[in-house]
Amino acid sequence: MKAHRVRVIISVLVILTALLMFFWPSNENVENSGVLKYLSNIKLGLDIQGGSMLEYDMKLDEGTDPNEIIDNVILVLRKRLDAAGYTEAVVTKVVSGNKIRVRVEIPGITDVETAEKLIGSRGKLYFAEVIEVQTSDVKPNVSRNKYVVINGNEEELYDYVRDMYDETTWYKVKKYFTFGAEPFEFTGAEVIDANADINTRDQGFKVNLKFSSQGSKKFELVTGNLIGKRLAIILDNRVIIAPTVNQKITGGSAEITGIQSIEEARNVAALIKAGNLPVDLVKFQERTTGPTLGRDVVETIIKAGLIGLAIVMIYMVFFYGWMGVVADIALLFNSMLLLGILAGTNAILTLPGLAGIILTFGTTVDGNVIIYERIKEELRHGRPPLTAVRFGFDKAFWTLFDANLTTVLAGVVLYYFATGTVRGFAITLIIGTLGSMFTNLVVSRSILESTSHLINVKKYQKAAAEEGK
Amino acid sequence: MFDFVGKRKVFLLLSLLLIIASLIFVFTKGFNLGVDFAGGTEFVISSDKEVEVNEVRDILTSIKSDYATAKIAKLKNLNVENTQLFQYSVVLKDSLSGDTSLKEELINQMKAKFSEKGVKIEFLEFNDVSGYAAEEIKSYAWYAVIISLILLLAYITLRFKFSFGVGAILALAHDILITMGFYSMFNIEINVAAIAAFLTLAGYSLNDTIVVYDKIRENMKKYRGKNSIEEIVNISINEVIVRSINTSLTTFLVVLPILIWGGKAIAPFAFGLAVGVVVGTYSSLYIASPIVIGWLKKSKI
Repeated sequence: MKAHRVRVIISVLVILTALLMFFWPSNENVENSGVLKYLSNIKLGLDIQGGSMLEYDMKLDEGTDPNEIIDNVILVLRKRLDAAGYTEAVVTKVVSGNKIRVRVEIPGITDVETAEKLIGSRGKLYFAEVIEVQTSDVKPNVSRNKYVVINGNEEELYDYVRDMYDETTWYKVKKYFTFGAEPFEFTGAEVIDANADINTRDQGFKVNLKFSSQGSKKFELVTGNLIGKRLAIILDNRVIIAPTVNQKITGGSAEITGIQSIEEARNVAALIKAGNLPVDLVKFQERTTGPTLGRDVVETIIKAGLIGLAIVMIYMVFFYGWMGVVADIALLFNSMLLLGILAGTNAILTLPGLAGIILTFGTTVDGNVIIYERIKEELRHGRPPLTAVRFGFDKAFWTLFDANLTTVLAGVVLYYFATGTVRGFAITLIIGTLGSMFTNLVVSRSILESTSHLINVKKYQKAAAEEGK
Repeated sequence: MFDFVGKRKVFLLLSLLLIIASLIFVFTKGFNLGVDFAGGTEFVISSDKEVEVNEVRDILTSIKSDYATAKIAKLKNLNVENTQLFQYSVVLKDSLSGDTSLKEELINQMKAKFSEKGVKIEFLEFNDVSGYAAEEIKSYAWYAVIISLILLLAYITLRFKFSFGVGAILALAHDILITMGFYSMFNIEINVAAIAAFLTLAGYSLNDTIVVYDKIRENMKKYRGKNSIEEIVNISINEVIVRSINTSLTTFLVVLPILIWGGKAIAPFAFGLAVGVVVGTYSSLYIASPIVIGWLKKSKI
């Protein structure tokens, strides 16, 4: 009887944990309507809640190692998306064979084109002289701007650019340098390398910059003329950093000192490098689902699933009597367990994932049927109900084990090779199948052992006797 | 007791015919490959007024003549806050991935041209898979299928015998080939979800087969020497048939409503399972076990 008590306790603990994970009040303010509001603790895939998945190839020059660039690409995209208000976007690296790609997932977005422009555009990094710094909520106007001719085009000389981290700080900058024979711009194309380092002479950290040979000549001219003034480094019209020029810099390398933390130094270095990276992003694939469509499909699938579930539950009771009732309890137990695990592990529920849940109904019923057929056999041999139940479970164990493990194996392979929403199916299939094994072998067993007197023994023994005739 | 084994030649012949029919469909009619595997652009629009599929095509053609070959289908109506919206899905052969402006032009022009007719449209879904992406997805689908088959064969060999493993794989190949034939015949789209259905079906069909094998293994110990292999296999199948039918029926009952009401997004998946459950149950009763009889006789366990 000891094993039985352990089973009962474990069953109760498991279902309580699952319920706790599922109903734990979530901190996030997710506004879902309809059936989705009951799933507020479960992370929903973009195909359900709506949103866009964009995957990009990097167009690399030959001999460039994508590993060196990818982190910078991700960092730059992250900053751009944040700056544009897509703070919920997720930017990840996708490794596929020997290819490395960038994936951007933006939940709930409807205006994908704007985001695409943001992601697809090459960042422009340039240096500019800081004229003054101002605090303002909106971009100040440049009064009486001057114009210079660069490469045959007339361009405005002054502009206001915002600080990368502080929305209200505006730098009035002179975008082109007007000393020397003719006005010129100084862009990221002249920067060969940028890296973060500890400042060994003073306190804090620094960023080392290296320039191309043409760049060093320009930089010498620029720094020689701007001693004591601030030089802003600007990416995508945001000031990354604006250090003061201490001296004329010759020799093609410079350092930006006075940085407080290594993270900041790394960030600055990465941004300077990334702005300079010769990477074009080419769209590899896009999957966008509007929120209305996702919700509509989910509601239909859930309704259809519930109808199927109801039919199966009735069928089981009809066919197996009390044991059918236990199977139905197992079915609900396993569904709850699966939802609880999904909520607790932050796994993503997708449309195919929903199908996976519905499929676990089948697996759970199947497990019960295998066991019940064994129990029926034992009953026909005239064993008392409790013994029949125990023998039935013991004998069915390996059948269940083999049968379900093959499903789990197929699920693992699928998880490994599939991308996107089908992964969600693999996840629910694996959790659901393992859960159904637990439910059948532990939960159903403890219920049936406690209630074996409710099994209609005569029905099966009579059937056996008639067969014997 | 049903005589499954005695009639095995009839059913093997039936299966063979089904497989041949299936192959004929696959090679002559081919598959309706979704954008996952063929590459291209697929989108769903909703409109507040009903329009003819022809009108949608005219508008597409007027944007770019290449779009004349688009596959357009009317989907079931959508209810959003008590208003009916009409849904259309469009599949273009070309991927617009390379160029953001192409996509922007398509979307803006479609909205503009529909509004000239007084119809307001929305883009509900937009999937674009470049040729490279399609190639990659295709090759991964193959890897997934092949690796799971190898793993499953290894597992069954380990737990049972190699002959059972081969029998199970043959039954599996049988199920997958026939299901593929049904996909071709009914022109159901093959996409990543359909592959998921195939793999589930693989797991499911094996599951079924293993339950039968398990019984055969048990009965071989029980009736050793007393009965012929044919009889043992037949007894075993009869002993598990109630379970097979119950399980298949319940799974089928769950999948069927999804196939009927689930809509376009889930149909390729539900179809595979619905057909697969039936074929898989049939094969585990009539194919998987009878096929190993000859082998078992030779090995004399």
